[in-house]
Amino acid sequence: MMDLQQKLEILADSAKYDASCASSGSNRGGRGTGAAHQSGICHSWTADGRCVSLLKILMTNECVYDCAYCVNRRSNDAPRAILTPDEVAGLTFEFYKRNYIEGLFLSSGITVSPDRTMELMLEAVRKLRENFHFNGYVHMKVIPGADQALIDQAGLWADRVSVNIELPSDKSLRLLAPGKTKDTVLRPMNRLAQRIAAHKDEVRSIKSSPAYAPAGQSTQLIIGATPETDREIIKLSEALYGKMALKRVYYSAFVPVMKDNRLPALREPPLLREHRLYQADWLLRFYGFTADELLDEKHPGLDLNFDPKTVWALNNLDKFPLEVNKASYEEILRVPGIGVTSAKRIVRARRAGPLKLDDLKKLGVVMKRAIYFVTAGGKYGGIKKETEEAIKVKLLEHKNPNNQLDLFVEKALVKEGLEATVTGQL
Amino acid sequence: MRTYLYDGTFESFLTALSLALERTEEYAIARESGAGAEAGLFSEFVNAGTDPARAGAMRDFFEERGSAESWHHARYAFLSEAAGAEDAVLAYARLIKEKGRAADDMLADLRVKKVQDLSRSVGGEAHMFKGFVRFKELADKTLYARIEPDHNILPLLTGHFRDRLGEFSWIIHDARRGRAALYLKGRLISAPLTQEKALEFDGKEAEVQELWRHFFKTAAIKERTNPRLQLQNVPLKYRKNLTEFD
Repeated sequence: MMDLQQKLEILADSAKYDASCASSGSNRGGRGTGAAHQSGICHSWTADGRCVSLLKILMTNECVYDCAYCVNRRSNDAPRAILTPDEVAGLTFEFYKRNYIEGLFLSSGITVSPDRTMELMLEAVRKLRENFHFNGYVHMKVIPGADQALIDQAGLWADRVSVNIELPSDKSLRLLAPGKTKDTVLRPMNRLAQRIAAHKDEVRSIKSSPAYAPAGQSTQLIIGATPETDREIIKLSEALYGKMALKRVYYSAFVPVMKDNRLPALREPPLLREHRLYQADWLLRFYGFTADELLDEKHPGLDLNFDPKTVWALNNLDKFPLEVNKASYEEILRVPGIGVTSAKRIVRARRAGPLKLDDLKKLGVVMKRAIYFVTAGGKYGGIKKETEEAIKVKLLEHKNPNNQLDLFVEKALVKEGLEATVTGQL
Repeated sequence: MRTYLYDGTFESFLTALSLALERTEEYAIARESGAGAEAGLFSEFVNAGTDPARAGAMRDFFEERGSAESWHHARYAFLSEAAGAEDAVLAYARLIKEKGRAADDMLADLRVKKVQDLSRSVGGEAHMFKGFVRFKELADKTLYARIEPDHNILPLLTGHFRDRLGEFSWIIHDARRGRAALYLKGRLISAPLTQEKALEFDGKEAEVQELWRHFFKTAAIKERTNPRLQLQNVPLKYRKNLTEFD
């Protein structure tokens, strides 16, 4: 008979590969306990540097499926545990009131059937909302194959709902996750997208309509377990953002936990590649780029040496240098070293008077990169012979004075760049 | 250099600000019993006192001659308690007097940048602490949290916790400044709190803390260990009051 601590350890351990940590996008409140904060709140960071915002657990790690990459696959001899709805709700509440978390992230293995699993999860979340009067954040996973009525209910209790696509193509899904196909995964996502959109329309006329998944839908793709290129992955994300109005796509570097000859024998998770994909994702959502601008059939992989915006700029040198006092906000956003925050500051500061090159650093511009691509009042601070090769040499020099791009440098790049990704400044 | 002394409260500071702005000669502002209040050979000190009418007028000045944003930056920069913050706000106020709300566009100007940087630090730390405050349940069911922030952010946390823990009684204790915000039976009060007598915790408190520590340790993916990133996000100076790092 397992105690709560043992169960929690097993079920938290299984849930940690789900990258989603957001607690933003909802401003729930009112009578009861708790409120959701519009911008989300990070409560702590674990040893892998990832943010802890929610109690992220599985309801149970029993599972009827046998997906090759998953530690909880049916054929794996792992200790199994299950929490009761009361335990889930009670634990969330005790953690929340001590301000350890913003709320609950509830996922699950499939026990008995998708319907039965959804019923258990819905019961836990319902108790949390109704018995504990909990107004904090809830992210609920939705189980593919569950009855539509159960899927619909998820949006009534949760702030965010999600289904993990995990494998970026139908072929890979069929190979590694027997029993799952592209359709079984996309069907609940389409249904939720429809319900969320319908609710947005409804709320326009009936302001008091109860909220329906106010923080929208997200999903996750595993990077490096299967052969899809960065181009295929980013184009998939672009379609999900465009057609299904997803709030986020998460990219999770494949961590080889299970030995299986259908899986690549990676020595370590492809963290730098994951980082570049997040940067490309940010370019789609905040910088006005399209997937085709970043990658094409001849270059289907993201450069590991340079961030994707710098690569684009180097391939489009005819568009530079830009005069910061005259260029549009959209143009300025495309300068390497100028992020959304700095771009907004430039546009604002130049209202008060013309900007000089010296001013740019004060506005938060990363001059190490931007200097090759801008002028201020006509003055240029870059190099005389401005070719792609020449600039590349200069940029690499800055990153690594000894000019040896080895594994060490790769790791350093990851660490230095990760913060920039989290804040979205490129 | 003449210096107006204020008593440490925001109201007194605004009074000093109002007086200094009226003068054509250069004035500095310093906290009485602070480093800037040391008597030198040529220094002249004047007590600004506290004048609610002047303080109110300063607020109007920032909001109307400047904008709501200017008032925000002035308040937050003051809460930074950083060396030179008072004089930075004074220089900022002079600029606003001269340029009106256009002053806030002059982002590259050092007078604006300094105040906005201080304001951002304070706002940033306040937001961080919305995550870092850790409550412990006392025997009488009150929730007690201890913090040691760099800046005086306690006033910025109270509204947030009143919204989400309105049904509870709680205390947030800024141990560095010897002050606490207390929310008891629906009333919010601020009081000095220096004595840290042994607290009596609720019976279940230790168990819940253990569960949290286990969860926290388990949630890390070993293949992605990155202590430098963790350090960037959770500086050592804050870990003392975080249950999971205990």
